[in-house]
Amino acid sequence: MADKGPHQNYLGMWGWVWGGNYKLERYLYLLHRITGLGLLLFGLFHLTVTTIFRVQGEAIWSSTISFLDNPLFRVGEFLVVAAFSYHALNGLRLIIQELGFALGKPVPPIYPFTDAIRRKRAWTLVTLAAIMVLAVAFFIDFTVRGWG
Amino acid sequence: MKNTYLQISQMITGALVAVLLAIHITVQQWFVVLGLLGIKVADPTTWGSMMERAHQGSWVGIYIALLAFGLFHALNGFRNILLEINLSALAIRILTGFIIAFGVIFLILGTYAPIALFSSYR
Ligand code: HEM
Ligand code: HEM
Repeated sequence: MADKGPHQNYLGMWGWVWGGNYKLERYLYLLHRITGLGLLLFGLFHLTVTTIFRVQGEAIWSSTISFLDNPLFRVGEFLVVAAFSYHALNGLRLIIQELGFALGKPVPPIYPFTDAIRRKRAWTLVTLAAIMVLAVAFFIDFTVRGWG
Repeated sequence: MKNTYLQISQMITGALVAVLLAIHITVQQWFVVLGLLGIKVADPTTWGSMMERAHQGSWVGIYIALLAFGLFHALNGFRNILLEINLSALAIRILTGFIIAFGVIFLILGTYAPIALFSSYR
């Protein structure tokens, strides 16, 4: 038998990828954080482009836009709109649920119980479906316009 | 109490950014889908198309609002993540100061650009 010391359950950074006996919402939370940080990084880059490179006139703006018009940045742009779709819709779900809505009536936690978030899992799945639809629609849009 | 207000503000700015960014991304990114629906729009990233918006007060308002709410939401969210590392009270104050200074710089830069372009008209 392996030694079951107090740190046996300590997963370290691996807990980010696989959190043990955590449920779906734990991974949605991780993805919310990753997409939030991704959007922050993009936002700073984007603000630099739309301010410093925009106020200098047509020539600078046009050459900046054509510099950004290549497959690498196009894929990046797709990731940005996909991250936006996820972060926005999952964020609205979080706002609704953290304020206590759409969780149903409280029930006593008698074993074996399911928590309110999981009893209302259907809402989460609807949100995820909507995110998928948005991501596919964006993908079609990008494909029609070309990736590079 | 301060943290309660910050968390409520995180939610309110999140909802506002959702609306503003949906408008922004629909215009910037969805013109093919809009085109299929019969709404004809030109490439929004050309200088001409961009300047057309830049000369409309309502767009200036949308961009400055998106900028302000987006900056608050993103930087407060980033601060929330960093505060999960157990920092001393002093370290938290220094961090907060840096984040606010950073946000103010981008707020000034991002407010200046649309106003400068708007007033370059006529
Ligand atoms: C599009 C509409 C958006 C909505 C509805 C939204 C909603 C939210 C909510 C509710 C939270 C708090 C999560 C919680 O309480 O557990 C949050 C966190 C966060 N958001 Fe947003 N957000 C949006 C856009 C953005 C954008 C554009 C950025 C970046 C530029 C961003 C960056 C962040 C970050 C960094 C966090 C912190 C994540 C964490 O604590 O793990 N969000 N968002
Ligand atoms: C990939 C999708 C995006 C594209 C193609 C895009 C494109 C643009 C363009 C061309 C402008 C210049 C103004 C105009 O044309 O009217 C602009 C401005 C702006 N964008 Fe985006 N954008 C995108 C996503 C985002 C996201 C995700 C955010 C938020 C984090 C954002 C925030 C802003 C802000 C705040 C401004 C105004 C900047 C200023 O202060 O002058 N954009 N965007």
